[in-house]
Amino acid sequence: MSARDAAPADVDAPVVDVRTRRGLTLSELVLLTVLAAVFGFLYWALVQAWGALQLAMGPFGDLAQHVLVGGWMVVAPLALYIVRKPGVGAVVELAAALVEVAFLASPVGPMLLVVGLVQGAGAELAFTLTRYRRYGWWVFVLSGVTAAVASTLLGMVRSGWHLQDLFALRVALQLVSGVVLCGLLARVLGDALVRTGVLDETALGRAWRARVARDAAAPARATGAAGDGAPA
Amino acid sequence: MSAAPAGASPDGRAAPRARRTALARRDPTVVLATLLVVSLLLLVPVDPWTPLTLLVLTVAAARAAAVPWSTLARGLASFGPFALSVLAVNLVTRPGAPVARVAGLTVTDVGVLVGTGLALRTVLVGTLAVVVAASLDPVRLVASLHRHARLGARGAAALLAAHRVLEQLPARWVAVRQAQAARLPGPRPTRAGALPTSPDLLVRAAFTLLVVTLRQAQQMAVTLETRGVGSGPRTVHRPARLGAGDAVLAAVAVGTTVVVGAVLWRLGLLETWASVGG
Amino acid sequence: MIEVGGLRVRWPHADDDVLAGTDLDVRPGEHVLVLGASGSGKSTLLRTLAGVVPQQVDAQTWGRVQVAGRRVLAPSGPGRPSVPTTTTAHLARDVGTLTQDPWAQLCLPTVTDEVASGLEHRGVPAAEIDARVREALRAVGAAHLADRRTATLSGGEGQRVALAAVLAARPRVLLLDEPTALLDPAGAAGVARALQAAGGPDRTTLLVEHRLDEHDGAGPGGTGGLPERVVVLGARGRVVADGPTADVLGDAGGHLAALGTWLPWAAELAASGARRLADVEAAPVPSRGTPGPALLEARGLVVHRGGRRVLDGVSLAVRAGRVTAVVGLNGSGKSSLLLALAGLLPADGVVRGGRAALVLQRPEQQLLARTVRDEVAWGPRRAGARDAEARADAALARYGLTAVAGADPFRLSGGQQRRLALASVTVCDHEVVLADEPTFGQDRATWRSCAVSLRGLADEGRGVVLVTHDVRLVAEVADDVLVLRDGRALAHGPVEAVLRSGVLAGAGLPLPPAVRAALADGRGAAGVLAGVAAATVRAGAPAGVGP
Repeated sequence: MSARDAAPADVDAPVVDVRTRRGLTLSELVLLTVLAAVFGFLYWALVQAWGALQLAMGPFGDLAQHVLVGGWMVVAPLALYIVRKPGVGAVVELAAALVEVAFLASPVGPMLLVVGLVQGAGAELAFTLTRYRRYGWWVFVLSGVTAAVASTLLGMVRSGWHLQDLFALRVALQLVSGVVLCGLLARVLGDALVRTGVLDETALGRAWRARVARDAAAPARATGAAGDGAPA
Repeated sequence: MSAAPAGASPDGRAAPRARRTALARRDPTVVLATLLVVSLLLLVPVDPWTPLTLLVLTVAAARAAAVPWSTLARGLASFGPFALSVLAVNLVTRPGAPVARVAGLTVTDVGVLVGTGLALRTVLVGTLAVVVAASLDPVRLVASLHRHARLGARGAAALLAAHRVLEQLPARWVAVRQAQAARLPGPRPTRAGALPTSPDLLVRAAFTLLVVTLRQAQQMAVTLETRGVGSGPRTVHRPARLGAGDAVLAAVAVGTTVVVGAVLWRLGLLETWASVGG
Repeated sequence: MIEVGGLRVRWPHADDDVLAGTDLDVRPGEHVLVLGASGSGKSTLLRTLAGVVPQQVDAQTWGRVQVAGRRVLAPSGPGRPSVPTTTTAHLARDVGTLTQDPWAQLCLPTVTDEVASGLEHRGVPAAEIDARVREALRAVGAAHLADRRTATLSGGEGQRVALAAVLAARPRVLLLDEPTALLDPAGAAGVARALQAAGGPDRTTLLVEHRLDEHDGAGPGGTGGLPERVVVLGARGRVVADGPTADVLGDAGGHLAALGTWLPWAAELAASGARRLADVEAAPVPSRGTPGPALLEARGLVVHRGGRRVLDGVSLAVRAGRVTAVVGLNGSGKSSLLLALAGLLPADGVVRGGRAALVLQRPEQQLLARTVRDEVAWGPRRAGARDAEARADAALARYGLTAVAGADPFRLSGGQQRRLALASVTVCDHEVVLADEPTFGQDRATWRSCAVSLRGLADEGRGVVLVTHDVRLVAEVADDVLVLRDGRALAHGPVEAVLRSGVLAGAGLPLPPAVRAALADGRGAAGVLAGVAAATVRAGAPAGVGP
């Protein structure tokens, strides 16, 4: 059953599937850069909201960043959930930061690139530990925690948070925000997006379609949820 | 003609907002790297004098390079809140000799010094970012990253596609919000053109924006494949070449920062975290 | 140049093939028009030839495909599924692809960069690029756009630039997937002319298209612009007719019309079984009596956008039971008028009346919910209607959406999304319905059901405003017409009078052949056109090649 047996008369070369390529495909690269652009834009909008919240909180304005910090890291676990390849979390977070700095002129300045890379790598750590194979809820919770820890360590180096008052409160706020606004939100967002069909040609889309097909094939479980988002 | 959008001439020609400033002729990768180095250096001083001196020099240089006042003003306006917040929090959270009491909180001398310094640093870094963003040509940036930062052909194409998406985002955001506002039941909006701002509707609009954009991304990826992206070694139509000007830019920017710091240190005005005991 | 043998394509986890055994041979230099109903797999066929299916879009494939001497798809063993053997990007060195949406095909910030990028990626020496960019832009009549930013192009300009980007690489094969579907008539005519010029004897083209009159009219002397060969795809991509264009359109015209494809006017008339238009029985048009009360009234509307006065003193009264069409080219201010009528744009002048429902050109931008059912029920629930659920169910049934009620609305096809938009509007008790280009890019069957729904909304006592550049739609369903150019009203009055006055041509919208003929007939254009449509369907239905 060699390929040569199957070769038609008009072609001599063996039949080789060209789809098998390692690394990121062009579709994945575009998906990731566009995610970075959209989230860079949303992050930038969040920075404007942060400014307002800081002013509203007066002398405690500095704490506002801990409430919102998870929101600035959400694209890393989302990208990992969709593409499921090593490195994409850190890179997409870095690219989102680049969009904020280079194209939207973020007031945080170029240090944001470092922040983005550290936060993205932090969020990715949870997926690295599970070897990019598990995407259950708890992995996303863990991702929120690792992202918050990385971000806190960076804050200690950059701004000496551990030398200031309220360090314990800062850490607690960072953790809660990381778990809710980064980890869990990424999973919720990914699940909603895959239902719309725009992610059909991604690892997440393939996994989802396989599950829908399995559910539909098992009559005992074929409830509303199974037929639910079946391609129309 | 008077109200043409910034960056494009009234007839929509590609006008190279990017070609108007002297900075735009420099290599974009060098510009970005220089900006990064300068802002890293700025992490050292915490006194107000260093950033203030550099801010004055930056504004002067930007004007000399034909960056319009409106760009600078827009930058300053958007960093105002951050600067004020940084000032406020530092005034009352730094240990030091008390100089005043406000609403039950103690303002210290170190707080005044460091707070003003960090607030001015925010404004300075923000202004630098605005000046750079106003002179970046995305195609040159990507061509330069391709040549000097080992960015692959496919990565470069993907970044440019994302830039197109980004360019359309603000208009698309308005279009989605209008489209969704048209679905609301009830009487006419009291003020024409007022879009609903309830968090529920904003979240729905953001989701729709994301879906529409991701669909466009997928179609763009297919377009790029059918235009041969990644099919072999590529050529570059407008190559990015490093010139003497790029070296001068980097040397002047970094050198000025260091010299200003050194002079102020000699004058005893430079403070660091170590010297203020923070 | 193109060889397809026993091609089968099936989407992942689907029960049926979307292409179930397609065979096609195209010789070098041949130009082929591919016709078929919605869902017959035309687009899938083109995307398979380009390598996109199954490389960028997952699918299972069987059979052989060869294009421009390159093996695209081949079986991995006897009786086994086929695998792609040339990457889409490599194939692109000989094969150019143009699709519907200009905004998905412009990937760089300026026109010159856009056209140059295809050459860069194909490794053309940098020194040659400038000349080839200029040549390609000239070939599509877009030399004057070279310095423009892509974001500022109109749809028609954007599509010509995208075509230039494809042509610059000098492809031997050109795959064209409804290249004019999303353009206004002026834009479509421009693209059709450019395509006419692009298809020489050195190039093989495969064209999937609905708007045949525009392509026909791009030929020398205003006719004969269609490709010389037509291939008709039946259900699941099987070739049911293949031959010289005139013969196929003559023989299978009725069948094609019944499938829901558009035909050039002459073929459509022939397909109705009549030799002359006078022989066609006009469909009865119910008397619409005296105009009802004004439900929405605008006087002296002025709108500024981006520093430009896009609407300049336009007045309009929307009356119960009437359909008012607002026509004009892109940029004439008609979309701004619609947004201002809906209260979504700040405008000077007076707008009086209730809230108007709005159905936009791209219905997906209006989606709010995660299932079709929630989408339809969203308005009534938000209004606190007690019978919201019952009303939603009724609307789903009426618009044929019950079967997909549980699906995510983004998953629906374009036609379904349009029906969904209408369904979610009609469940709310809006007295006025505003629709922006409701028939954009649709095949004839969907077009007709959309036209019928819109007329139905008016006949139930609502006031309907259509913003469109589809003059045939205007002739069939509108009572009154407002013609806009550069933000000003050129004419406003009863539909036949305005169409006859020739003012449309002045606004850049020449009458399509069907409308010209129906007006000349003198029995009332709406009735005559509906009569032709009914007769073609009757004539085509029994011709047993159908699904």
